[in-house]
Amino acid sequence: MGQLRIIIKLLLLSMMVVSCTERIDIKLDENYTRLVVDGSISTETMAHKVVLSMTSDYFYNMPPEMVTGASVTITDGVFIQVLTEGLPGVYSTDPTYFGEVGHTYTLNIILADPIGGYTDYTASSTLMPVASVDSIGLELHDEWAQYIYWEVKCYLQDPPTTDYYRCKISKNSQMITDTLIEWYVTDDKYFNGYYIDGAAIGYLEQSYADEFLAAGDTITAEINGIEKEYATFIWDAQVELWGSNPLFSGPRANIKGNISNGAIGYFAAYSITRATVIAPEYK
Amino acid sequence: MNRILCLFIFLVFIPSLLSGENSFNSGTQKKITISGHVRDQANGEVLSGVTIFENNLKQGTSTNSYGFYSLTITSENYNLQFSYVGYVSINKTGFTDMAITLDIFLEASENILGEVVISDKRTNENVRAPEMSIVKLDIKAINRIPALFGEIDLVKVIQLLPGVQSTSEGSSGFSVRGGSADQNLVLLDEATIHNASHLMGFFSVFNNDAVKDVTLYKGDIPAAYGGRLSSLLDIRMKDGNARKFGMSASIGSVSSKLMIEGPIIKDKTTFLVAGRRTYADLFLLLAKDENVRDNKLYFYDVNVKLSHVINDNNRLYLSGYFGRDNFKNVFALFGFGNQTASLRWNHLFSRKLFFNMSLIYSRYKYELGTPEGDANSFLWDSKMYDYSARFDFTHYLTNKHTLRYGATTMYHTFYPGSASGLGTNSSFTEFILPAEYALEHSLYATDEFKPWEKFTIKYGLRYALFQNIGPGTYYSFDENHNPVDSTVYAKGDIFNRYSSFEPRIAFTLLLNDVSSIKGSYSHSAQFISLAQNSTAGTPLDVWLPASLNVKPQLCDQVSAGYFRNFKKNMYEVSTELYYKDLKNVIDFRDHAQLLLNQYLEGEMRTGIGYSYGIETMVRKDAGRLTGWISYTYSRSFRIVKEINDGNRYNAPYDKPHSANIVVNYDISKRLTASATWVYATGLPVTFPTGRAVVGNSILPIFSNRNAFRMPDYHRLDVSVSLKGKEKPGRKWRGELNLSVYNAYNRHNAWSINFVADPNDPNITYAEKTYLFSIIPAVTYSIKF
Repeated sequence: MGQLRIIIKLLLLSMMVVSCTERIDIKLDENYTRLVVDGSISTETMAHKVVLSMTSDYFYNMPPEMVTGASVTITDGVFIQVLTEGLPGVYSTDPTYFGEVGHTYTLNIILADPIGGYTDYTASSTLMPVASVDSIGLELHDEWAQYIYWEVKCYLQDPPTTDYYRCKISKNSQMITDTLIEWYVTDDKYFNGYYIDGAAIGYLEQSYADEFLAAGDTITAEINGIEKEYATFIWDAQVELWGSNPLFSGPRANIKGNISNGAIGYFAAYSITRATVIAPEYK
Repeated sequence: MNRILCLFIFLVFIPSLLSGENSFNSGTQKKITISGHVRDQANGEVLSGVTIFENNLKQGTSTNSYGFYSLTITSENYNLQFSYVGYVSINKTGFTDMAITLDIFLEASENILGEVVISDKRTNENVRAPEMSIVKLDIKAINRIPALFGEIDLVKVIQLLPGVQSTSEGSSGFSVRGGSADQNLVLLDEATIHNASHLMGFFSVFNNDAVKDVTLYKGDIPAAYGGRLSSLLDIRMKDGNARKFGMSASIGSVSSKLMIEGPIIKDKTTFLVAGRRTYADLFLLLAKDENVRDNKLYFYDVNVKLSHVINDNNRLYLSGYFGRDNFKNVFALFGFGNQTASLRWNHLFSRKLFFNMSLIYSRYKYELGTPEGDANSFLWDSKMYDYSARFDFTHYLTNKHTLRYGATTMYHTFYPGSASGLGTNSSFTEFILPAEYALEHSLYATDEFKPWEKFTIKYGLRYALFQNIGPGTYYSFDENHNPVDSTVYAKGDIFNRYSSFEPRIAFTLLLNDVSSIKGSYSHSAQFISLAQNSTAGTPLDVWLPASLNVKPQLCDQVSAGYFRNFKKNMYEVSTELYYKDLKNVIDFRDHAQLLLNQYLEGEMRTGIGYSYGIETMVRKDAGRLTGWISYTYSRSFRIVKEINDGNRYNAPYDKPHSANIVVNYDISKRLTASATWVYATGLPVTFPTGRAVVGNSILPIFSNRNAFRMPDYHRLDVSVSLKGKEKPGRKWRGELNLSVYNAYNRHNAWSINFVADPNDPNITYAEKTYLFSIIPAVTYSIKF
């Protein structure tokens, strides 16, 4: 799936060579305010975060207004973890908290004041397993002088189950793929049960400062096992963020998350496997 | 089935019962049938749509698409007038007491003009013809219209007609009366073209060097054709010059073309071969970078035609088309193309009974992949084949009745996609979507009945039968469209069928010599559709058949029109109103996955739709100044339960206002200037009205489906053509064409996106992408 999207993007990019862009003024309608939830829990022992904010008009052009004073809990059906608010709108679990594979986690939010007509919101996510990554590698592509990039390659045995992966890349412990649009998400439709022998999970473009690799840099790939609904959420969001064009884009449509009562966003549970590689000398 | 047969027999024989002329009057009144073919004097090409009018009896007919006509008169003295746009009309008078063959050669008016352009005698054919919602263009008219990159393209000209819209800037997809692009049946010498685009749609697959004429039916589609709801675009290839060898070559900014034609046996066997190739990639060879030099980006196509006159009663035509696009760079390879072949046999059973049999093959395929040798290397392909046969009879029964009846059958095969790893290093498994097979048959009969001189009624029925045939895998879905089960059917199993009775009726009432009122109604069904949810579509879109899950789309269309000619038929004015009611209209769920998805049917949502509009046009085909002006007001809506919360939304091609001006002016015998101006309301579009921050990205929250509009579209194109001087003894003649596309440099929006400011991710703004600024182009062509 991810592969297909990349190919289509490349085709589109070659199209874009002939086109030009310019800013344009457009008058957009206003929309009513809704709650936005951006939260997750993983298999790692840490303070897991749930961020609550509000939607705004599209050209609001300021950081979102945060939602403070809410009561936020996560439960696996047995234990209830109460989250505490640190920075405004940012609610964290206890630093010793971690998720377990196979458990379904439910997020419950009770707002101090209603947003979009509701005070109570809930969302559930099942923590899916992930196969252990054997290793990662780096391969330089300098076929095009003006576009030099490193390909991050992954080695992993895909299990016979249907799996969904999210890959994030960091350099020297600094997350490079720090926004949703940069995540590489794929299902195993085309390699189910196969050994993944160096498939690309990320690209580091050498003209970008944060992606530039010097010899000795440590590259870490974090691979998450995620649920299908979360993969779909990210794909749909990426489609909308990549932009629309008359050739490949269907009608624009809202990105459906898993939060109740019309709130926007996703509460995701996921597992983690990691591997690192040291950047070699660039010849 | 017996009922259907009875109905057809009734339809076929009812006119002879009604008229009674054959059985009772034959003893009292002499009846003489004059028949023959009408051709171009210069090259022997048959001419379709030539009007034949008997001046004494005020009766008329026209040639069919093979140039054949048949007219029965009741007087031994005949006075026939043959007229055709762009040709000098001729009269044939004489005396005969028995049936005769009268083969006619018409001379193109441009060939015999002196320095002064004289107007050829015009007829009121458009007023009189028992058909509406139809536009016919011959290739000469098409060739004069300014074109993008100077590459003349008949589909782009079709898009200038009232009621026809381009699906997006530069696209060779078109929408007729608010319908979607897959609702157009596009035929090249009767073979279906499933994807008429080259180079992501910027050019169509039709090489104007090989095309003779083009007819677009926007409604009132002849009963001989069906299977599409919106239109029939019938493109006929040239047969090849029957008189002498000819050659033409042209060098343009995008492509070069070569066409050779001529007689193999004079006036008996002809051939035509036409080819073109783009050469943008040839410039890449000059690049310093080796990888850039290895890139490929081109398309080519080849048209071949052979025709053979066996004898007066038998003719054979063999046509072929083969075209392909190739794109390759270090990251990806991509290719697609159509292939068609049709073999046709014309046979005259009698002077009154014309028969054509066609055997047709059509294929569309594409492949997409990455170069071999990598873990990610893969190849994905998709293809479809159609094999069909058609049997068409035209029975010129009496002067009051012309019957058309016949049968068609088609075998569809769909291979929607297979993807597999490429090379030994690839991690990809093989992934094959199950193939699908279907049969589509039809029986049809129509009668063109002329009870009075001023009134013609055309009524008919088409019966269509669609069958899904094994081997096949059928997936069943629950109420949420999730797959729950699958059933495998054995080879030859007909596991599902749909049938449809499609009545068609049209009338023409002549008010006087220069004006008429016309009306029509038709019901049609469409059994295969394109899985496309973008406006312009791509070559990757796949066709899929109706099935147990997908019902055929249905359309009822009524139209009414007023036709009036002015200044001795010099100006043709027409106004048409139409209303279309659609059922089982296909749309797709939000964020549908249409490619390589075996559960594609689960992504479909069906509903209803309706369109209406008014189209007006003033057209002038003769004289130094030719062209047309048209204005259309039209709307098109859909209502689908699961889309837009079940509320009505603007259909993807709903453009309320559109206007076109097409002008050609012969400044002198050698110099011609042309201009076109296009205006249309922007396409409906969905824009964000709110935003939310998730995953450090600003996610848009959207308006209702298609609640906004793109900015209005308008564009002016101009061109000038200069023909070389004719010199005695010189066998060739050159022509230089200069054109400017988008002459006043309007940046028409191709897409509008909302992007985050790279310096401050909290700031978003709207950004327009436009494809074309001013584009000048030069083409030089030589004719031998």
